[in-house]
Amino acid sequence: MSRTFYLFRGCLIPTRLPFLERSSIFVLDKMKVHYEPLPGATCCVEPIGLRSLAVDTWLVAAARLLSIAEENDRDILTLCNGCLMSLKEAKHALKSQKIRDRVNEVLAGIGRRYTGKTEIIHLVDLIAKRRTALDELVVKRGTGMRVAIHPGCHLVRPTKLTSYDQSYYTRALSEIASSLGAEVVAEEDWPNCCGGGVSNVNEVLSSKVLDELIDEFATAGANCILTPCPFCFVQFDLRQKRGMPVLYFSEFLALALGASSEEIGLRYHKTKVVV
Amino acid sequence: MKKSVFDPMLLTAIREVWSDLTLWECHQCGQCSAVCPSLSHGGIRIREIIERVMLGAINVEKEDAIWSCMMCQSCTERCQLDVNPSFIVTLVRNLASERGHIPKHYLEEARLFIRTGLSFPKTGLTKKMRSEMKLDDIDIDQKTMDEVKFIVNRTRLGRLGL
Repeated sequence: MSRTFYLFRGCLIPTRLPFLERSSIFVLDKMKVHYEPLPGATCCVEPIGLRSLAVDTWLVAAARLLSIAEENDRDILTLCNGCLMSLKEAKHALKSQKIRDRVNEVLAGIGRRYTGKTEIIHLVDLIAKRRTALDELVVKRGTGMRVAIHPGCHLVRPTKLTSYDQSYYTRALSEIASSLGAEVVAEEDWPNCCGGGVSNVNEVLSSKVLDELIDEFATAGANCILTPCPFCFVQFDLRQKRGMPVLYFSEFLALALGASSEEIGLRYHKTKVVV
Repeated sequence: MKKSVFDPMLLTAIREVWSDLTLWECHQCGQCSAVCPSLSHGGIRIREIIERVMLGAINVEKEDAIWSCMMCQSCTERCQLDVNPSFIVTLVRNLASERGHIPKHYLEEARLFIRTGLSFPKTGLTKKMRSEMKLDDIDIDQKTMDEVKFIVNRTRLGRLGL
């Protein structure tokens, strides 16, 4: 079972957070996951701002990405909660024959066609399915980290579309973190919003949401935040006032798999991480 | 709550953007508001927005609250009747955008997407970090850009005149 995935990097990670791409690649290579970059990749379309301006543009652009993967019989592996939601919601909407016909009418103009064969999977869910393989590769356990788990909204909601049975009390990330020796001190029963969705539109509102969240983590005794979403990562790393370090999911894994902080670029974090 | 009808054609306009709506199932139970992080910090009042959409009591050219939704999908997850409140907000935002009410940041993001196919800019720092991390240059080829342009021109984004 070694299907090759199309790795869809999105926009935010390759442009602003390339070090997250580096640690993700480190983990995928170590775990012998076969992948290639998705050819002809563009923005997913970003589901908070851009989709709010034009839903049909979102739908056709997302269908185009999925159709490229279909053409080569590949599934899509994403590193970003936003891309996951955008593509999954598009796939869901495209189940309607009426919508699919309209989208395909536009896609025909660029010689493409959407059929709905491709699956979309987030790195967290890929790793969760390969826990045994991960355990065998771990070289560094028990790092003294007391982590606060922050799944991010779009990994788990809406459950109609994600791989989670329920959107509250989800444990996938906590279980992975614990098995790698971190002490999980804070979990969100109803996964919280980081405030990132309005950070560029309503800064006051955004910081209120963010500050409240960080206060909860601090009260629980966390010394580090673990998140699989690059948008949440930016909120925590750049906009947070308390100075609590954050690790993106693949960084956390890469460290446990023996990567040095140098090779995965932890120096690029604004809120410094000491490991 | 402001109940005066402002735009009697609002629902019709929304259905033109997206015809598959279940809005009328809404019982105004308020579970959406109960889990809304924006509302609890003084942002959007989501239950009220749904009601006002049905009543046509929104001036989309001026309603700032619609841009205070974080799209966390809590309301959509919680709604027992599958009204999908966060998507209704997306649709109202589509109408607002069509009538020129777009936050500056999203306007820039849209222009960037049209020009480069990405929603975030490739800067000098991007190039530096990518080369230090031994990663490729994420160049988008001309064929892909032609396809993006084609899609934009054939959909709403192209009609916004950005």
